[in-house]
Amino acid sequence: MIALRARAANVQLSAPLDRTVWLLTDATTATAQRKGRACVVRDDDDFRDGYGLYLTHDPLARSPNGANTLQLPPLLRHLEAGDVISVSEDGQQIRVLWRHRSHHNHILLTERCDHYCLMCSQPPKRGADDWLLRDAFELIRLLPRTTPGIGFTGGEPTLYGDDLLRLLKLCRNLLPFAAVHILSNGRRFSDFSFAAGWAAVENANMMVGIPIYGAEPSLHDYVVQARGAFDDTVRGILNLGQLRQRIEVRVVIHKQTAPRLVEIAEFIARNLPFVEQVALMGLEVTGFARANLDDLWIDPVDYRDDLVEAVRRLDRRRVRTMVYNHQLCLLDRELWPFAGKSISDWKNEYHPECLKCGAAHECGGFFHSSKYRVSPHIKAIPPDEVAAPKALLPLS
Amino acid sequence: MSKFQAPEAFSPSSASWKLLPFRFERLNSHVLLTNMVGERVAVSESDFAQIADDGLPADSELVRRLRAAQIIMQPDEKAPLELLALKTRTRYRTLPESTGLHIFVVSLRCEHACPYCQVSRQSSDTDRFDMSTETARRALDLTFRSPSQSLKIEFQGGEPLLNFPLIREIVVEAERRNAQLGRDLSFVIATNLALLTDEVLDFCADHDIYISTSLDGPAELHNKNRPRPGRDSWERAVDGIRRVREALGADRVAALMTTTARSLDRVSDIVDCYVEQGLTEIFLRPLSPYGFAVKTKAYSAYGTDRWLAFYEEGLNYILELNRKGVGLTERFAAIILKKMLTNEVPRYVDLVSPSGIGIGALVYNYDGDVYASDEGRMLAEMGDETFRLGNVHTASYADIMLSDSLLQPLEESFAASAPMCSDCAFEPYCGSDPVYHYATTGDFVGRKPLSGFCRRNMGVFKLLIDKYETDPHARAVFLDWAGR
Amino acid sequence: MTEHQLTFDASMHSADAIQRAAYRLSDRLSCDLVAEGDTLRCTLHLPPESGDVPSVVADFRNEVLDQTLRERIRNETQEVRNLILALAFSNTGLVDASES
Repeated sequence: MIALRARAANVQLSAPLDRTVWLLTDATTATAQRKGRACVVRDDDDFRDGYGLYLTHDPLARSPNGANTLQLPPLLRHLEAGDVISVSEDGQQIRVLWRHRSHHNHILLTERCDHYCLMCSQPPKRGADDWLLRDAFELIRLLPRTTPGIGFTGGEPTLYGDDLLRLLKLCRNLLPFAAVHILSNGRRFSDFSFAAGWAAVENANMMVGIPIYGAEPSLHDYVVQARGAFDDTVRGILNLGQLRQRIEVRVVIHKQTAPRLVEIAEFIARNLPFVEQVALMGLEVTGFARANLDDLWIDPVDYRDDLVEAVRRLDRRRVRTMVYNHQLCLLDRELWPFAGKSISDWKNEYHPECLKCGAAHECGGFFHSSKYRVSPHIKAIPPDEVAAPKALLPLS
Repeated sequence: MSKFQAPEAFSPSSASWKLLPFRFERLNSHVLLTNMVGERVAVSESDFAQIADDGLPADSELVRRLRAAQIIMQPDEKAPLELLALKTRTRYRTLPESTGLHIFVVSLRCEHACPYCQVSRQSSDTDRFDMSTETARRALDLTFRSPSQSLKIEFQGGEPLLNFPLIREIVVEAERRNAQLGRDLSFVIATNLALLTDEVLDFCADHDIYISTSLDGPAELHNKNRPRPGRDSWERAVDGIRRVREALGADRVAALMTTTARSLDRVSDIVDCYVEQGLTEIFLRPLSPYGFAVKTKAYSAYGTDRWLAFYEEGLNYILELNRKGVGLTERFAAIILKKMLTNEVPRYVDLVSPSGIGIGALVYNYDGDVYASDEGRMLAEMGDETFRLGNVHTASYADIMLSDSLLQPLEESFAASAPMCSDCAFEPYCGSDPVYHYATTGDFVGRKPLSGFCRRNMGVFKLLIDKYETDPHARAVFLDWAGR
Repeated sequence: MTEHQLTFDASMHSADAIQRAAYRLSDRLSCDLVAEGDTLRCTLHLPPESGDVPSVVADFRNEVLDQTLRERIRNETQEVRNLILALAFSNTGLVDASES
């Protein structure tokens, strides 16, 4: 598990920090650019002149001419050139915004939310936290133009309204090659003018991920703990569909939704077949999911057949379907082509059984949080069984 | 953590349910409900009584199922209306795209003498029954006048290969005109393949032409149904299929079967024959009540129920084959399943409402007469010109498409207004067939309790629904067929 | 041909519903309908091949009930059905339900 925030081990500020967001460089970085950059210094030879902030691994024998310096704690020694951090005004708190070598950078825009999902992995907070949005603007200005992908999450990002749209436009302009993925409960899009504003960002490389947790309001509204949510979310998806926006529908499978999984899949297949893809996702046991575990935990083996049926209902209606966050040994073989390696690498772990498993390299592994609960049916698949698939239902 | 509210907090506060449009049918042990776009909910009789008596509670398993299918809603909801509107619009989306299929009867001559054939037996040494170049050009005028983006030109007869030079001319001329117009143009030759030559194959390869042929089953059955001099119709058809697959590709040839009294006990042999010939699709069709079929009493030889038994046996056998890994599709089921399981409506002119006559297909006979459907042409061969819309040499597109001969049957047979159809829960899966009903009863609507069309279709709907609900393997196959 | 008389309370069942029921069962019976004040008098004619008379009559009565229910559903949902069709075939398809 890779740490994304920590206290500085030592802070030496000779002058106030003139910014919060910093792009990291080190001795190998070949650039004369200094603005907005912080230099990572691992030993005395790495010191380079002219930076507004230095990040050191150990107290240096020679202090860099009184420049602002933070000593990184062991937890943050993984930081390297190309990463981006946010530093508090007093230099004490360091937050990692961007990991250069990660394929799944998700930027937290706010912890505020108008939902209160039973299984929320990022439990909502009340107070204003606009600095997160400001940091995101700064981050985008620092990232290389060739950045291949970026994600935005919350809380509920659309609570920022037009400010969110400004952020996305900036993203499109400065990071033209980035696949942009935003998570939202979709309710604000039921206001057609907001949906139109979203469409006006005109980024063909932008997709919104919106969850649906029921085939009718009672169940969905219960899971997200908000009356009227289903009606707004469905209408939001319809508006986005009409505006030809790219939509991913997400369904988190747990004890409340699993009994209705086939119905939910059928509802999406019949009512929202125009969406770009549907992600059926395993539960991440963190945040509220931990607190509500008794009401949420279900062994994937117990909904194994329903999951196959749900995928068939979608896939045969030509809705692109993915199964995320499920270990391959818990999935029916028919679903392996639909399973993706979806767990962000900073959360990714493996079970001892996996060491002997022939399919480990294909499998997404586990969330770090699965130490709290994992299926007793995790079992290594013998390599020869992985290679020789049994007959699948013919599709031709 | 006690901030979480119980499920009850999210159920409707009152049982003031608003009904959305739905229809129902009582089946053996339950009641089938369908919503405005044909989505199904099966409920027990006692559950149905709750709906009928306005006795639905604020929350229950039944209530949730009815909500999910947009059969009931709460007064303050908006999504159900938008969803039904969108799905309705999707179902009718192809309606403005008339006319997609244009049938050119390039010759009435034929060397076969099939008893169920709907065209007269003409010997092959007369040129009186071939379409002329001028007629063909005028028919192409009407073809391209249709607004449909996709245009399929199908050559029929008699045996169209007896007038292959005209087929060649029409294809070349159509492609020349289309170079400016940019439609999605496709060609099919419906031929018995007995006269297939390499010259024909080369031409088909050059112009991406598909072949549709007749294969009624194993040799002795097929040849009895389809006599020709030499008694080798089957051998030639099978050889032709092989040659087409080799020269044009396996997906370029399809076969249709016609069911006769002889076929009824042989369905698995017929299916086996299709599989042996490498065909991936079979269409288990009923015998139509037109042409020679009536003249030779072939139509009265069996009733709808007998055909339904034949169909069920055939479908079971095909499902069994699928279970063993043989991917054969049954076309009639596939068409219906698409309507049942998706929001798309296939452009199969005989099972759609409004009917596909004229707006789905137009037939240009060898003499220039224009018919609303192939069956309409066959009726004319028997002396009844009810479905003749005009002649290419004298009538304009407007004359033809706005003629009473077309508009009246279209209007009268529109299922949503027809007696009994308008109340029928299966209506979204069904269609109108004004030509069939006219031929059998004398009016465009017929009387559905006595209609073989109705009885047959209902039998198939119930069979498919029952299999879908009770057999997971059949369900998987059906989902696959519906998605093609 | 067997005849059987049935009367229906005209305040509970419409002539239309009874006619629709008769139409649906027209492969097994035919029907004459006469309005007499508050009642609708229905004379069923059942040919011998209809089978068991009481059961055909029972089917007819049940069908009348079903047709009455269908009529009620049609009436109750007519407005929303027109609204949905208007939505379906409007240009944007997004006319707000409360506006129309």
